[in-house]
Amino acid sequence: MEIFQSTIQGLFETSGFNGLGIREIIMIFLSFVLFFLAIVKQYEPLLMLPIAFGMLLTNLPLTGLYHPELWDPATNPYFAPEYIEQGANIFVNFTKETSLDYGRVLHDGGLLDMLYLGVKLQIYPPLIFLGIGSMTDFGPLIANPKSFLLGAAAQGGIFFTFLGACLLNLTGIAPFTLKEAASIAIIGGADGPTAIYLTSKLAPQLLGSIAVAAYSYMALVPVIQPPIMKALTTEKERAVKMGQLREVSKLEKVVFPIAVTIIVSLIVPSAAPLVGILMFGNLLKESGVCDRLVKTAQNELMNIVTIFLGITVGATAVANNFLSWKTIFIIVLGLIAFCVGTACGVLLGKLMYLISGKKINPLIGSAGVSAVPMAARVSQKVGAQTNPSNFLLMHAMGPNVAGVIGSAVAAGVLLSVLG
Amino acid sequence: MNISLGMLSESGNVIERLQALGTAQDQLNDPDYWSTVGIISLTGILVVFLILAILIFFFWLMGTIFRAVDKKKAAKKAAPKTEIKPAAAVAQTAAVEEEADDEEEIVAVISAAIAAFSEAEGTSYTIRSIKKHKDTRARSAWNMAGISGNMQKL
Repeated sequence: MEIFQSTIQGLFETSGFNGLGIREIIMIFLSFVLFFLAIVKQYEPLLMLPIAFGMLLTNLPLTGLYHPELWDPATNPYFAPEYIEQGANIFVNFTKETSLDYGRVLHDGGLLDMLYLGVKLQIYPPLIFLGIGSMTDFGPLIANPKSFLLGAAAQGGIFFTFLGACLLNLTGIAPFTLKEAASIAIIGGADGPTAIYLTSKLAPQLLGSIAVAAYSYMALVPVIQPPIMKALTTEKERAVKMGQLREVSKLEKVVFPIAVTIIVSLIVPSAAPLVGILMFGNLLKESGVCDRLVKTAQNELMNIVTIFLGITVGATAVANNFLSWKTIFIIVLGLIAFCVGTACGVLLGKLMYLISGKKINPLIGSAGVSAVPMAARVSQKVGAQTNPSNFLLMHAMGPNVAGVIGSAVAAGVLLSVLG
Repeated sequence: MNISLGMLSESGNVIERLQALGTAQDQLNDPDYWSTVGIISLTGILVVFLILAILIFFFWLMGTIFRAVDKKKAAKKAAPKTEIKPAAAVAQTAAVEEEADDEEEIVAVISAAIAAFSEAEGTSYTIRSIKKHKDTRARSAWNMAGISGNMQKL
């Protein structure tokens, strides 16, 4: 009987129930909310579902799939081998990245720790960009290069929110460092991979909450943007029909990714991993000679990386990091970033409407936030509500894809300053 | 561009000092905190605009050159025929019009034939393009009719 009792007691002590606290239960419940949003509401399900499942797995006690302590230089510092041989454990403080002991990660890490290496070493976001590039047609942007301006204006939300996050420090409730403020601000770019890329470099402790906020708002583009677009434009402006875009030759489409890579990488080298790989994917597509590679980039590679990225980003949402005032502020600031970005795009659209002699519909400005192609569809939808015979989709695709480049450039600028 | 990046590099030392402070509260208490935040915000958006403005200029230039080259090519193709023999050109345009009419008739005939064929098959068809067969060795319509007639089951 005693043996039976001790066996049951041992089983209980090693079971997850023993480590289950109220914080873990709240996190598991939050993962259920994300399941609901992904499966029932279909909010960005391809990423939201893996994120939710990663969140569930990481908060189930004693599973050993993910170890947050391995990713904190304070608890897992790197000691130079040459000094260890001499018997002195001297902490090598090169940079935050090199000061982490990756050897211990490989030795003690769980499955999600291994997959998280792709986030930590900034591998997954550029690979996602490779897939995006191989699916994107930059033709509307080449036909109307002025669209770049709208893509730039919509990044106003990023820098406005950076300022806002720093101002929030005055309240003293949830103070953000400069790096954390920049990571939150990038939500305004409405670009998930860019947000993950920048946050994993500047503030990895906020990765879970920033990724959830970024993808939630991207899914809510059709809800968030139309009221702002309607509030800032008149019916007359919304009804403007834009002229046919010129035809773009194949040579122009081939030159585009090469030129963008050279120009952007020379000015902001830290944006090269995102912009360069985005353009590489696009060149594969436009060259017309790499069909097999294009198919892989668009399908298998993209899908595999999406699964790895989603589940590991979700795994970083451990109770200690996620359940704090900071998460609430991140969600609020993310929404502000998104709204201001949309407003900046529409306002510049209005300016271009006036300058162009009322030939540009300001609604296409809102597509400058880079949620492709959702933001462009919203421009089309709101335009068609005013004038059912108005087709703005192709015109809105220009600022939309310019927004992808713009947000990657903005991330590069923040990285070069704060990284 | 250099001015913007210069501003950033000048404030680089201040940013490094601020980052070394570690906590947000310590950063906030630094006298250079707000000026640094302002410079990062302002310079950041300016650099984004500047880079995209450079791209606008580049692709506007590229587009202009390509359109000019296309126009020249089109003009070269059209010019000699009209200049050398104006009378022949008139006749040629008339012939082209006639040819276009003929083509329309041919399209109508082919469409009708396919429609009749599709009715027999019980399926519907959409004709997207009709092109002339390039292979000169192809059999003529009469030959084809003869062959199909001879190959019918007795």
